[in-house]
Amino acid sequence: MLLLLLAYLAALGSSIFVYQNKISHPVVKDKGRLLPIKVKNIQSATGEQELQQIVREANKTNDKLTIAGMQHSQGGQTLYPNAMLIDMKSYNKIVRFDRKRKTITVQSGATWNDIQKYINPYGLAIKVMQSQNIFTIGGSLSVNVHGRDIRNDALIDTVESFRLLNPDGDIINVSRKENSSLFYSVIGGYGLFGIILDVTLKLTDDELYRTRTKIMDYKKYEAYFQKNVLNNHSVKMHLARISIAPNTFLKEMYITDYVEANQHDLSQYNHLKGETIAIPKFFLGLSRYSDWGKNLFWDVQKKYMKMSDGKLVSRNNVMRSDSNFMEYDSSTRTEVLQEYFVPVNQFTSYIDSLREALKKEKDFNLLNITIRFVDKNQEAVMSYAKDDMFALVLLINQGQSKKDIEQTQRVVRNMINITLEHHGSYYLPYYSYPSKKQLHEAYPRTDEFFNMKRKYDPKERFVNLFYEEYGK
Amino acid sequence: MTYKRFLYYQSIIVMASSMIFPFYVLLLKNVGDSYAQFGWAYGLFALTSALAYPTIGKFSDQLGEKVLFILYSWGMAVLLLFFPLVTEVWQVYILQIIMGILGAVQKNTEKTALAKNVKKENAGKEIGNYHVWTSVGAAIAIILTGYIVDFITIGSIFYLASLIYFISGFLLLKKRKE
Repeated sequence: MLLLLLAYLAALGSSIFVYQNKISHPVVKDKGRLLPIKVKNIQSATGEQELQQIVREANKTNDKLTIAGMQHSQGGQTLYPNAMLIDMKSYNKIVRFDRKRKTITVQSGATWNDIQKYINPYGLAIKVMQSQNIFTIGGSLSVNVHGRDIRNDALIDTVESFRLLNPDGDIINVSRKENSSLFYSVIGGYGLFGIILDVTLKLTDDELYRTRTKIMDYKKYEAYFQKNVLNNHSVKMHLARISIAPNTFLKEMYITDYVEANQHDLSQYNHLKGETIAIPKFFLGLSRYSDWGKNLFWDVQKKYMKMSDGKLVSRNNVMRSDSNFMEYDSSTRTEVLQEYFVPVNQFTSYIDSLREALKKEKDFNLLNITIRFVDKNQEAVMSYAKDDMFALVLLINQGQSKKDIEQTQRVVRNMINITLEHHGSYYLPYYSYPSKKQLHEAYPRTDEFFNMKRKYDPKERFVNLFYEEYGK
Repeated sequence: MTYKRFLYYQSIIVMASSMIFPFYVLLLKNVGDSYAQFGWAYGLFALTSALAYPTIGKFSDQLGEKVLFILYSWGMAVLLLFFPLVTEVWQVYILQIIMGILGAVQKNTEKTALAKNVKKENAGKEIGNYHVWTSVGAAIAIILTGYIVDFITIGSIFYLASLIYFISGFLLLKKRKE
């Protein structure tokens, strides 16, 4: 009897032990869910002293550090095996707001939504951010985002200064005047130089826009864009989609321009909106599984887009989409993003080459392509906007098995080669499909970038899988 | 085993099993992928039960309820220790198959015991009373567990249930000695 009791207690004890072990080494994944990584632990950032303490402690214990915001990057930019993951999301206060100078200083874990809610009552808006507002400022800075705005360049253009917690645990000011070489490498630096503490951003006035929508053939797009968008200064934002539906594959496009409207009416439109996600989620679900669903989704999108023609919307509301409808829960398949930049004058020939290449890939499940514009800006060491570029974001549904990953890798590398042939480049926050050679071709200053990293962080305190893959 | 003790025992194990069942789905969600896999997990459970019933019925008559209840209790106590450790869907399938057998043991024995202890004339009323107590146990367990899960990990629920199962087996043993 006693033996039985002891045997059971031993079994209970060992089960709990294994289980504790399992949960004390949290398995962390980013949004791509192709890289489950066991980290040592997750530390939530609370204040700058605590963060300093974490970095200094890590220097003593020789632990690796990795920094995370919303973790929507997909190439392990926030992950490293057995590292301490610093979760910045709770470090999210608004530090200073200068209404006259139109600047705001926020802690890096704050999201665009936090800023929007704060500045909207003052009639101000963000200059550059992603189309979605769920991301943290620190994460956005680290990938140097761009968005729908066509009159500012990438995010770096709107950053005045920030404070950086460096690998020694010291806090330094960084701007175009102070520690300037860090300014150009930390922005678009993928968290390799230290922890961005707080950031001062330049703001702009909230404005009222009239939505203008058009459907056109891809061959007409380039000329339309030059004449009616870029050279028409009342157009402030722009967004396009090109069809991935089999019936109109990479031919038909629809376009949404945001044109300055009569500003007197702004007050009727400037309360911040929420968003319905059930309907797009349903159609996206259909298009995941069939060509029929893709054709249907494209037709529905076009109809919906036509309905929004002429609608008035405030700048802050244009910058408030939610990407929750893209949440995808399958544990064997996942959805990954790719983003390619091509010079405006290359667009037509680029799309032709892309169509040619993708027609052969029957198993490549492409769900969506959106197109935005980004002005030439080569401030950041890792600059993607080497010219005035169209940015194409591709949403791809793929399996998580080794074979599926290899399949996607082959197609992606092929697409990147086509992009590079058209003098383009690609965006870095995504899965490590591209080869090292492609990285160097797209980003000629890659060596300089990684050498800077080792200069400022010789002990390689801040690491991630992106650095592991390409930096060494 | 008196009818009263049978009632206590049943209330306790119904509590333990109700603790885990609703939350078991949460665990499956972390492991499983599609509704088809949920279907398979529960389908396998029912299927193995079906296959096990004839044999269990035979044993039930030979061994008596007590032994089978103890087998069920301790079997579940050990099995539940594996639940928090599950990471793959095939592991869930195996656990479901074993649960199917054990579940059949419990159901069959429960009904046999009822049949033996209840007078035919007022069987409806007695079985009704029996269900009141076991259902009250179930309700309390489910509600309390909901609160507990908010504070501790989902894995701990399984350990707690395992302990209860283990103790319930001992309770039956003790009765025999008295």
